[in-house]
Amino acid sequence: MLLIGGYLLYLDHQVVKQFEGRRWTLPAQVYAAPLELYAGLGLSLPEVQRELERLHYRRSDRPDHPGTYRLSGEHLEVDLRPARFADESRPAQLLTISGGGNGILRLADANAREVPVLRLEPLLIGSIFPSHGEDRIVVSPQEVPALLPAALKAVEDRKFDTHHGIDPLAMLRAAWVNTRAGAIEQGGSTLTQQLVRSYFLSTRQTFSRKLREAAMAMALDAHFSKADLMNAYINEIFLGQDGERAIHGFGLASQFYFGKPLAELDLAEISLLVAVVRGPSYYDPRRHPDRALLRRNLVLKVMADQGVVSAADASLAARRPLGVSARPAGAYYPAYLDFVRRTLRRDYHDEDLTQAGLRIYTSLDPRAQDEAEHALERELARLDKLHKHPQEALEGAVVVTAPQSGDVIAIVGGRDVGYDGFDRALDAHRSMGSLVKPFIYLTALESGKYNAATVVEDAPIDLKLTNGQHWKPENFTRQVYGPVPVVRALAESLNLATVGVGLDLGLPKIAQTLQRFGLEQPPAQVPAMLLGAIDVTPLAAAQLFNGLADGGFRTPLRAVRAVLSADGKPLKAFALQVTPVASPEAIYQLDRMLVLVMDHGTGRPARALLPADLVVAGKSGTSSEDRDSWFAGFSASHLVVVWVGYDDDAPTGLTGSAGALPVWAHVMAGLNTQSWSAPMPESLAEVHIDFPTGLRAVPGCTPDLVAVAVPGSALLPVHPGCGFPESAPTVPNLLEKAKQLLQQAVH
Amino acid sequence: MTVLGRHAAAIPALTAVLVLSACALSGPPLARQGAGTAAAPSAAGSATPFPAPAEAAAPAAAPPPYVPPPKQFHLGAAASALVTQAHRQAAGGDYGQAVATLERAQRIEPDNPLVWIELGRLQLDANNGAQADAMARKALSLATGDPAAQSAAWQLLADSLRARGRNAEAADADHRAAALLTH
Repeated sequence: MLLIGGYLLYLDHQVVKQFEGRRWTLPAQVYAAPLELYAGLGLSLPEVQRELERLHYRRSDRPDHPGTYRLSGEHLEVDLRPARFADESRPAQLLTISGGGNGILRLADANAREVPVLRLEPLLIGSIFPSHGEDRIVVSPQEVPALLPAALKAVEDRKFDTHHGIDPLAMLRAAWVNTRAGAIEQGGSTLTQQLVRSYFLSTRQTFSRKLREAAMAMALDAHFSKADLMNAYINEIFLGQDGERAIHGFGLASQFYFGKPLAELDLAEISLLVAVVRGPSYYDPRRHPDRALLRRNLVLKVMADQGVVSAADASLAARRPLGVSARPAGAYYPAYLDFVRRTLRRDYHDEDLTQAGLRIYTSLDPRAQDEAEHALERELARLDKLHKHPQEALEGAVVVTAPQSGDVIAIVGGRDVGYDGFDRALDAHRSMGSLVKPFIYLTALESGKYNAATVVEDAPIDLKLTNGQHWKPENFTRQVYGPVPVVRALAESLNLATVGVGLDLGLPKIAQTLQRFGLEQPPAQVPAMLLGAIDVTPLAAAQLFNGLADGGFRTPLRAVRAVLSADGKPLKAFALQVTPVASPEAIYQLDRMLVLVMDHGTGRPARALLPADLVVAGKSGTSSEDRDSWFAGFSASHLVVVWVGYDDDAPTGLTGSAGALPVWAHVMAGLNTQSWSAPMPESLAEVHIDFPTGLRAVPGCTPDLVAVAVPGSALLPVHPGCGFPESAPTVPNLLEKAKQLLQQAVH
Repeated sequence: MTVLGRHAAAIPALTAVLVLSACALSGPPLARQGAGTAAAPSAAGSATPFPAPAEAAAPAAAPPPYVPPPKQFHLGAAASALVTQAHRQAAGGDYGQAVATLERAQRIEPDNPLVWIELGRLQLDANNGAQADAMARKALSLATGDPAAQSAAWQLLADSLRARGRNAEAADADHRAAALLTH
């Protein structure tokens, strides 16, 4: 007896100590970039409406509480939720968005005063939970709708307010049922006991454990208020499983099942969560909607019987569909979260990320991410059909950035976008192939020896390497093109001409250019480097091309903008940084040539998939034996890098133009993007040259003219017969004329 | 002609440039270009990759260059409100918030040199001369054609150079900033 008494005292002490010092491990919450609204933004009202729906705003006839909106004609009235951003907070407020054409015309507050700019709250895109997988969002009693505790009591523990932690009658009833069934099956546990079981004990049910649970529940009840215990229950209890992630607490469950804050749930939604308590897997509303619906309606009936709600309200709610979101919130973007985690691991311990309740603000643009995911899935499925490779499916990765800020706005790590596995965007190290060529020609332009019209020789190459072997690269077509201008060598991705230029400049120079643009490992300085025998991840390729898209400035790509502590103090900001890495003149000349890749070269097939008036620049990449199909290209506001290939490095039979390009074009076409148009540096001049020969000509003089930018002082040979009207005829011109006259005379 | 036509249709954003260059091409300096003889393609590409022979060539553009009508950059209402807010935050000593606010403006108008000048000024206030320098150069690369914006960018560059004790270069940048305003 003394022993039992001593044991109970010990339990009492333990329970109180642990529970008082309780601190739920709070996984870091990760947020997408907030959508900035302002007059002039090119989003139509239906598009804004879609963004509100993404944040689970509810359409209503009268927007009268945060999280609702009304669309009437050209006006969208929104009752905005309070929002916490990386730099400031905004209270709940009314906003009227007036639209017209395809954009926003005006924003106004509740007093019809003009609002110049305002952000929607950032979308919660996930959390960084510990390896044992417990994820939760803790809610305070003020954030809990009053219906929830009432419903929990009605369904799970009717005597919660009066018992002392256990309900002996309910336990006896359960014991009786269980004895007859020959196993422990039915609960009869109070909410307090359930809390003890979840918080202190493993779920294995044995008889002694049951006794301990009862004793601990009584101890808890004796020391803490009912309100405290209810709030603990609401934050502790297990409500679902999402792969590795265990969904704990009603705060997260509300986001997980409905995508919105707990405070905004209605009767039907609260009833569903209460229904799920009994068996999160058995009553999983996504996998077993029929079971979940029956149980939800049972919960509603019990609530009506208990007088928690009126019978009319209950039957109205029972007619509602389950209303769960199609995909669980927070599990959308594993590849992006992977990058976020890796960024933060440089500065934070795992425990900080998984336990300290940090708030992490990222650059993810959910719209761009959706476009990238859909384009990759759709196009790979199409390519699989075209190029039958029975053993395995093609894989791919996409990275999208906003070049001028270095924001990484979307990452797709594979075609199975919800799968948190091999992240090709970050971990697939593949030959960059012809993606290296822009950096060779940039080096050439910077040397002052070359411009877009410079004629280079596309001729057979046979190099004896230091190991005695011979290196004999070939063009993709296995043809030799002879003298070609630089602009054509780049646009048509001619290997021999490019190798010639690269060897002339020297491998160290090319390597330096790549490293200046952000290549982390110095490339092996072998001639094959000139054809892209450099392994890069799609993310690393994006870093390199970001510098080309950003006018020759290197901006470290960033997914994370800022980290805040659980109580909102700024801990770390990843501020915008730029470093000039190329001369503005050279980069402009190169970028103009990359525009021509899209109109005259390997990027041409994309033209049919893009808006006709969209100016973009890009470069295809194909590694040896078509193992890797790349396309990297940009507009003024977006850079998109796509890789397509097999995980086992098998040849795909796809060039960059055949595999990655259609994916790239679909992503680019789906983004709300601006045409590339950098101002031409004053020392450059735009001239027209004959694409096949590089000879200067007046517009209209030869059938295949292109406009290129060259240094104003560059001396360009003129195409015979294509000089300017006021210019004196050239010698070959005279010869031509004479020949013509002769022919006329003969006839 | 057809090729050029399609090319021009596909690149309306470059039309301005095309028009300007057309003006440049019809200008008097180009009268000189026919004096030489055009090199035959075979001659140009006879040897290893090297620039084409110069004697048969004409300069791409010769002085005096065509001077396009000056542009003038403005901040839109949204960016303007954010810049004002950033000034207020910076004046209150809240440098971190001011940077975050200017970055919002930068995302709304990524190509506006005035936003980059503001960002650079803030960096300079925070004693980050190297970043101010880089942002001034970024602004310069975007400000082509707008003497006022170019001048402000040179001024920022001058200040960032002076902050790092590079006084001679700073004086040169100051001179360029002043010259742009007097034209």
